[in-house]
Amino acid sequence: MSLKVTLNRYLITTHEALKTIGEIKYLFFKIIKGTFEGPFYFKKMLEQIVAIGMGSASIAIVVGLVMGLVMTLNFGYGLMKFGAVYYVPSMVSLSLIREMSPIFTSLLVAGRVASGIAAELGAMNVTQQIDALRALGTSPVKILVIPRFWAAVIALPLLNTISSAFGLLGGLIISHLEFGMAAGFYLDKVRFGVRLHDYIGGCTKSLIFGAIIATIGCYRGLKTKEGTRGVGEATTWAVVTSSIAILVCNFFLTKIFLVIIAK
Amino acid sequence: MKEEILLQLKDIKKSFGTNHIHRGVSLELKKGESLGLLGGSGTGKSVLLRSIIGLENIDDGEIHFRNQRIDQYTEDQMLVTRKNISYSFQSGALFDSHNVFENLAFPLMEHTNLDYRQIKEKVKEMLQLIDLPGRETLMPSDLSGGMQKRVGMARSMILDPSIILYDEPTAGLDPLNTQNVVELMKKLKAKGHASIFVTHDIPSALQLCDRIIILGKGIIIFNDTPEAFRNSIDPEVSKFKSQEDQIKGKSYGH
Repeated sequence: MSLKVTLNRYLITTHEALKTIGEIKYLFFKIIKGTFEGPFYFKKMLEQIVAIGMGSASIAIVVGLVMGLVMTLNFGYGLMKFGAVYYVPSMVSLSLIREMSPIFTSLLVAGRVASGIAAELGAMNVTQQIDALRALGTSPVKILVIPRFWAAVIALPLLNTISSAFGLLGGLIISHLEFGMAAGFYLDKVRFGVRLHDYIGGCTKSLIFGAIIATIGCYRGLKTKEGTRGVGEATTWAVVTSSIAILVCNFFLTKIFLVIIAK
Repeated sequence: MKEEILLQLKDIKKSFGTNHIHRGVSLELKKGESLGLLGGSGTGKSVLLRSIIGLENIDDGEIHFRNQRIDQYTEDQMLVTRKNISYSFQSGALFDSHNVFENLAFPLMEHTNLDYRQIKEKVKEMLQLIDLPGRETLMPSDLSGGMQKRVGMARSMILDPSIILYDEPTAGLDPLNTQNVVELMKKLKAKGHASIFVTHDIPSALQLCDRIIILGKGIIIFNDTPEAFRNSIDPEVSKFKSQEDQIKGKSYGH
């Protein structure tokens, strides 16, 4: 009996999860379709770029700088044992630009932006403001979701660029202070180690992560029920789900980019 | 001459799980007419209004607006229809990050080609109508409950819709604010807007409405003039009137 109950519970959970994935996919297609149908709220998108991008710039700077400092220290002392400390600039810059910067910046921005979007839209939902928009003949997807989606898609690559740049700066500081490398030598190594497609790959990842953050945040905000408690649950759910989605998606994107680069 | 029927509900059925809210509700709303929709709590008055403008999907039945069946419309088609059927929320549902001017100007900016000066004029005119002149810059949180409802009502009618659906506009208001809201509704009625007025406030409904409808047990149990309502000896209507009398300590009969 208990096995049957447990199985039943798992089946229900799986069904709910699949339903949620389907609904998020549906919202994503509505966003793409709505973008081309118009009206497009360009001013609202600019406002969101400022809110998401400028508001998260300090996070990107701190994340990038700290990653650059820590990675250079670890790689430097590790490789010093083998007399390979001069490989540090290439290794650090490549790891930062391809992987670390897109993923860590996106994860931290997800904490700030997905929760913010879910809370804002959730609060609007429980106070009937979303219904009011619909009742006034305006599509909530077009006026609320699409500007946030494109703002995140534009802002995340920019934040990733800032984060990567400060990461390289952190690497430069440690390479110079700890390992006595000249700034010109460090930058030369970075220039030869990192190619344009590495940077484009990192930016493409953060662009996709931006789409994930905005879609999941908006989806949960629009689905919020049960008052203030529901808003709290929505924010937590949005952060956890978007973080997991970013991590899982990163694996597949890394694989795809490696195949493309290998070709 | 036959009066134009704006809205027609045919055998509407709606359930939430095992809770059957509507078991076959049918009614008609004519041009310029005001219907008072009464009924106990949980009888589905607000759900009926939300179903009319497509905020809830009905399980069965038909909703016609100007002889067009609208219950099968997609959300995008309904968005267009909602410019003609507006909904005034119980809470006002004002956009809390926008001030009074922005709330009232929103439908005009969305659906008209008016320039800023014309929008400003129209908003000013509306604020005069709802007796809140010069309050353009106030935020919703700066307004009392009654003021929020009036601004919400003004926003719902600023596009000059054919039908206004009022969801308990006098609920939770003191007698003075109730009278203000009723006076506003009278002004709107005089402008020729048809309306459905969901309320527990029987005296206001009797003042305003051309017909009184009572919902009970998922169906319409009374549909007649205010005069007939006052004189009705139907057991269900009498029971409803006496329950409301007990709650409010009033009498609505002769």
